[in-house]
Amino acid sequence: MSSAEFAQIAVNAILLSGILALVALGFSLVWGIMNIVNLAHGAFVVLGAYFTFYLNELAGVDPFVSIPLSMVTLFIIGFIVQRVLINQVVRAPLLATFLLTFGLEILIVNLVNYFFKADLRSVTTRYSGTGWTVGVVRVPYIRLAALGIALVLVALTAWFLRATRQGRAIRATGMDIDAARLTGVKVGTIYSLTYAIGAALAGAAGSLLSMIVPFDPNIGGPYTQRAFVISVLGGLGEVANVVLGALLYAFVDVFVGARLPELSQAFTFAALVILLVLRPEGIAGKKFYA
Amino acid sequence: MPERKLSRRQVIAAASILVLLVALLFVPKFRSEYELLNYTRFLILALMAQGWNLIGGYTGYAAFGNVAFFGIGAYTTGLLMISKWAVPFFPAMFCGAILAALVAVVIGLPVLRLKGHYFAIATLGVAEATREIADTWDSVTQGSTGIDLPVRSEGEFFYYSALALVVLGVIATALLVRSKLGYAWVAIREDQDAARMLGINTTPLKVLAFALSAVFAALAGGLTAYQNIHVTPGDFFKLEYTLQMIIATIIGGSGTIFGPVLGAGVYQLLSTYVWTKFIELHPTVLGLIIIFFIIFAPRGLMSLVSEGLKVVRGQKRFRWQGLLANVRAHRVT
Repeated sequence: MSSAEFAQIAVNAILLSGILALVALGFSLVWGIMNIVNLAHGAFVVLGAYFTFYLNELAGVDPFVSIPLSMVTLFIIGFIVQRVLINQVVRAPLLATFLLTFGLEILIVNLVNYFFKADLRSVTTRYSGTGWTVGVVRVPYIRLAALGIALVLVALTAWFLRATRQGRAIRATGMDIDAARLTGVKVGTIYSLTYAIGAALAGAAGSLLSMIVPFDPNIGGPYTQRAFVISVLGGLGEVANVVLGALLYAFVDVFVGARLPELSQAFTFAALVILLVLRPEGIAGKKFYA
Repeated sequence: MPERKLSRRQVIAAASILVLLVALLFVPKFRSEYELLNYTRFLILALMAQGWNLIGGYTGYAAFGNVAFFGIGAYTTGLLMISKWAVPFFPAMFCGAILAALVAVVIGLPVLRLKGHYFAIATLGVAEATREIADTWDSVTQGSTGIDLPVRSEGEFFYYSALALVVLGVIATALLVRSKLGYAWVAIREDQDAARMLGINTTPLKVLAFALSAVFAALAGGLTAYQNIHVTPGDFFKLEYTLQMIIATIIGGSGTIFGPVLGAGVYQLLSTYVWTKFIELHPTVLGLIIIFFIIFAPRGLMSLVSEGLKVVRGQKRFRWQGLLANVRAHRVT
């Protein structure tokens, strides 16, 4: 590998890691607080991507402007989904929530397929092709902006969890649900709020992705899997660790993808299983739930 | 040997099973070739579900990668049949089952040390990885083009083979769960640490359950491969098969002997009906079925049937709030 190629791969990895961190943060928040592996997470990413695509296509809304709208919409969808469906079995054995969110994923992806067709889409704007060239490395503006926005949203979430009353209530619920209830936290509402935030972050990630890569309704599953791997790498519960996990994952993914694209999943999961067997709590951080 | 008297209930149960079996034996005489295909699909699904029931239902490990063994069974069967030895179908299928069991042991030893979500996702990853390997290993599997098996078009052959395997599966399950092994599995499901303290060596028993479930899936894969003739990684490693076997087990009742078969029947009925009505929304309906059963009847039809029987016998009064019992027990307010 030439050094120019190496540098470009490294830059691509860094640019990718922001969105991965955003996807994984919502996922690990829901997992850490509610002990739900939310397999519908990728479907929310898909919804975010289509939301931005259609706002741009039909109303000419700039994709960056549509991000907050996409987040609000996904927040509402997430809140309702948790209230109406997931909350009914949230404390049931693992298989129940696992399958329930899987059912949701299938449902959402199929409906998106049905209404919006499985064609490969992408959002193109007049600034889509522009970029910035530093020596041998090329940095597209959109990817750079996406990285920036993703990091801002991650930081905002971290601030929200640390400094606000609701955020503290969320963390308290994740630590000890009964103690949280005793101190007056409305646990049901907090669960819905947590899930809705997870969905909103996924929606933002989807909006950003729609500008960067071509997408179809089936990209959701792979993003759920990536979010899982990153959550395991980072451990649950610490926002900074999720970012580190995303960076690490992005490097492995981009390098393996550049060398052996056909076996990237096999490689990722082999690494994951080895890691889990050796260090079940992840590389950094602690676990809330097994 | 002391005469064992059967209770009236056991006689009724045995008689109804016998009637059902005889009815199933005569299905090909009264059904068109096309309809028979749906019955065969039901039996193959029942077979896979029975396998999943051992690891997922009795041992309580949410295995999400059993399609890997389905695919391994399909490919082994196919490759042996078209190899220069031209192995006949049944020996080839059993070789597939043995290979799948061996793979399950190799994978199970590390993966079954994981718990809960980690195990579920790791098996999901294993299934994806086997698909990628089948896709890339051109010299053996001919990549994504796939392989073609010898043609055999008698629907009855597949129907009766599947029926025989399902009946064997029911017998095997019934014997296993009444053995020490079966009780150990349930003990592991209920509380692994307690089971270990009682002297159960959990790891080999879990691996055994995993390997047995692989055998069922591989037999189903071999049969499907021979029936479909053409085997590709995309068709035989698709997640949908894993989902189907889990859903069938849940619908029927996981951790019961007849649950998977009953669930497979109901699933196939729904699926056949849905296929003909709205093909494009098939996954949506599948998703709705999953959501419905998980929320309202996670213990499946077998438990609804036994509850219903109690009501009929007058041992219990019917209260439809009973249907909400699951929601009451697990929701958070």
